[in-house]
Amino acid sequence: MPLETRLAPDLHANASTETPESIMVEIRTLSLWYSEKQALKNISMDVPKHRITAYIGPSGCGKTTLLRCLNRMNDLVDGVRTSGTIRIGGTDIYDSALDVTDLRKRVGMVFQKSNPFPKSIYENAAYGPRILGASDRRELDQIVERSLRGAALWDEVKDRLNDSALGLSGGQQQRLCIARAIAVEPDVLLMDEPCSALDPIATAKIEELMMTLKNRYTIVIVTHNMQQAARVSDITGFMLLGELVEIGATRDLFTNPKDRRTEDYITGRFG
Amino acid sequence: MDPVIDQQVEVSSRGPREAARGIALSRSSVKRRILIDRLVRRLVTLGGVTIIASILAILIVIGVEVYPLAGKPAATLRETTAAAGGGSPLAIGVDEYMEAAFIVDAGGITLISLKSGSAIPSPALAGLGSARIVSASPAGRGGFALGLSNGRVIPVEVRFNVSYAESGRKVEPEVVTAEPLAVDPSQRPIERLARIEGAEGPVTAAQVGAREIVLISIKETKALVGEAKREETRKTLSLPAKGEITAIALDARGDNLFAGTSMGEIVSIGLRDTAEPRVTSLGREEGGAIPSITVLGFMNGDRTLVAGDAGGGVASWQVLQDAGGDRRLTRIYEFASHEGPVVAFTPSRRDKGFLTADGTGAIKLHYATTGKTLLDVPAGGAQHSTVAGLAALAFAPKADGFVTADAAGRLSHFRLDNPHPEVTWRSLFGKVWYEGYEKPEYVWQSTGGTDDFEPKLSLTPLIYGTLKGTFYALLFAVPLALLGALYTSQFMHPGIKGTVKPVVEIMAALPSVVLGFIAGLWLAPMMERVVPGLFLLPVVVPVLVLLALVLWRLLPAPARTRIRPGYEVILLVPVVIAGIWLSFGLGGILESALLSGDYRGWLLRALGLTYDQRNSLVVGFAMGFAVIPIIFTIAEDSLSNVPQHLVAGSLALGATRWQTATRIVLPTASPGIFSAVMIGFGRAVGETMIVLMATGNTPVMDWSVFNGFRALSANIAVELPEAPEGATLFRVLFLAALLLFMMTFVVNTVAELVRLKLRKKYRYL
Repeated sequence: MPLETRLAPDLHANASTETPESIMVEIRTLSLWYSEKQALKNISMDVPKHRITAYIGPSGCGKTTLLRCLNRMNDLVDGVRTSGTIRIGGTDIYDSALDVTDLRKRVGMVFQKSNPFPKSIYENAAYGPRILGASDRRELDQIVERSLRGAALWDEVKDRLNDSALGLSGGQQQRLCIARAIAVEPDVLLMDEPCSALDPIATAKIEELMMTLKNRYTIVIVTHNMQQAARVSDITGFMLLGELVEIGATRDLFTNPKDRRTEDYITGRFG
Repeated sequence: MDPVIDQQVEVSSRGPREAARGIALSRSSVKRRILIDRLVRRLVTLGGVTIIASILAILIVIGVEVYPLAGKPAATLRETTAAAGGGSPLAIGVDEYMEAAFIVDAGGITLISLKSGSAIPSPALAGLGSARIVSASPAGRGGFALGLSNGRVIPVEVRFNVSYAESGRKVEPEVVTAEPLAVDPSQRPIERLARIEGAEGPVTAAQVGAREIVLISIKETKALVGEAKREETRKTLSLPAKGEITAIALDARGDNLFAGTSMGEIVSIGLRDTAEPRVTSLGREEGGAIPSITVLGFMNGDRTLVAGDAGGGVASWQVLQDAGGDRRLTRIYEFASHEGPVVAFTPSRRDKGFLTADGTGAIKLHYATTGKTLLDVPAGGAQHSTVAGLAALAFAPKADGFVTADAAGRLSHFRLDNPHPEVTWRSLFGKVWYEGYEKPEYVWQSTGGTDDFEPKLSLTPLIYGTLKGTFYALLFAVPLALLGALYTSQFMHPGIKGTVKPVVEIMAALPSVVLGFIAGLWLAPMMERVVPGLFLLPVVVPVLVLLALVLWRLLPAPARTRIRPGYEVILLVPVVIAGIWLSFGLGGILESALLSGDYRGWLLRALGLTYDQRNSLVVGFAMGFAVIPIIFTIAEDSLSNVPQHLVAGSLALGATRWQTATRIVLPTASPGIFSAVMIGFGRAVGETMIVLMATGNTPVMDWSVFNGFRALSANIAVELPEAPEGATLFRVLFLAALLLFMMTFVVNTVAELVRLKLRKKYRYL
């Protein structure tokens, strides 16, 4: 009880400071079907700016699908249908006039499996700016250094920028992917289980990095690891069978879940 | 081991007794699995080893057929007979089996059996009388002539009558003489003599005195009834040369008489058309002493003149047209020199080889076409027993041996092993100066109409043809196949891809003989009509496609989204068809407006190009059609195999599909694309039926797309049925096969190395 009273005003304070401008992503009645199978069911939620929002839930619950709706990566899958709206920074991203590449520039993504391109470290970090048309070497040098520093990788690789990115360790590769994503200065950074293939030390580094990144970017993360969600996120949503069962401040959700299914999941009764 | 453990667990739950049985059963199954594993491993090893062994076996078979080409000729002395007749021989000859020979000396003709080594008794030479024989003309195919000390000439022929009895082959020589000719009324001895059987009758050239030649041609016209009419023309030539005549030669057509002089000159006298022989003098432009010409004679075919001189030099000459259109005697090759004066010369009747000998008895075998001296039989030594100095030399009719006679009249006969004299590294790959050609050239012409035809076996035009066909085929196929593969793998809707890919793969199943047939008999005549349009195609179609794309962008978004992504290609089909139609239409207009209605005439006038109906353009299309499916399939597979997470990573950064395709997918798939192109190259190099049927198979060397060519592979197919086993042509064709093998082997090996390197660079996780 004392815990709850201590938390409640906090939450209230949060809510009061979050004016409409500080909502980055606004999801309303979002449903999604893979051909006949419904993967997301009527999801509505907001993602606040400069916060880390985490989705947890068992495998196949739709949390990655939801994440991939935010940069329309689901478009690549044949036979996907969606209904509802998603607004990012006030723009409807499913508007037919919208340029998808423009959206993806604003919404960066880090994948579950680190996927550096088979190019040099430098070229990986410079890939985003290059496809947007940057060709000035000095400008690119600056962007590469800034993004590698931003991903806390600079000191480790500054002497071998022209080596293949595939020679890096798993954790370094994942941080390179983060550097590659932030090189184009997105508004939102989507992270799809970024640490699932990493050892605890590399995981800790990434988590530490996320805490600094949230000052500049709005981060949405999908994770299997409830401790990770509890450690890094400000807001956590629990998803089950395509439904967003519960969403709230992270401490709240983990200590005092409102839904029975959430409680069963976080206490390890299934999942 | 897992299933076994499972089984144990499962069985043991049924009770102890059954469990025991279960364990026994699982043991036997373990044994069986190990056995099967071993068996399969051995089978796979056996298969691999068999493949390698059979490839090696093929290589060895080819190598065994090719190797004799590199063999050096060898001469072995068979026998030396005791001296027969008397005095120094003037001429000798041998039959084609090398069983009987004859020697001409001052006293007459002595016939010798080489089997027994003894003289064959024969009647005295008719018409000789009290005179002595002082000269003999070179023995040719027919007879020859003897010059007498009393100014008369006896035409004579030594016939070797072959009969087959139970005891085996029997060769009986017989001397046949004709009526003697009185050449010199003042009865001076005939110093030198040349005689040919011309088309109209025999022509005899006899040297009497130091600078005087008497030329007698006899025309025999047979009337339908009555006696044959015999017409004799006689000319006496007094040569304006500085030196004395030391050698004469008459060509078989009766066109030219050549005389060598003691001043080292060759005088050529044209005998045809002009009433008076035309005399042109050609000196050997060399400083110092000019050695006198000692031997003059024609090669088989009577085009190449060989001159040997007192300095031991041997050179070949031909009458060629110079830049000013003047026909001049031109020196072709200088052969390895003898140490002493050249005393004898004899040409092979089979090829362009000839023998020369000097007085010491050293004999050299030369080859007139290649300019090489193939064999050197030194004087003395174990294999040679001329003691008294060599006087006469004659090739056996089959060129498989030769006979020599020394000054004492002792006859030696040699076997010559020289199966492929015309083949050298240079004659196969370099330029060769063939008889009747203005300059050295690359020529492939393996057969000809006449007996004295010389096979010209340069592989260079064929290699050139192979590369030319491959080049044009790949020029057509590579862009189409790679762009097609890129589109299919990256942009096309999987639904259409499921149809397109198998259809393209079925193209590969079309037998190339069908493709060649279609190309040669249908495509070639059709293309001939629309050539200007064909050249507009690569301009008009892309322009139309771009126009269509611009129009597509101008359409309102809702209209565009009605077409599912990846299905846009269907809209392009009518555009491309319209483009083809428009190109051909425009081509016709262009032809009549700018090329005065006849593109072939224009090609010839403006570019100096001729148009063959079956040309490289047709081959490019047909062979391209055969190569496209291979390149397409392999390239498409490697492009599709680029991991989806790399593509997603690029797209998630805001890259367009095109940017992703060119910057991520193409480099990552580059090893596969490279092998696709190389395998296509290999297929095009080895392709036979299409190049055989769709080109004119003319072994010419020129890059013009409007001309045909002959490829190595097609050449093997065309010529091998005609090549006698073991002959030079047969072996050269095997060499062509070896070359083809090497070409594909080298290309594939290099391709594999490059591919591995690329793969290392673009390996993905």
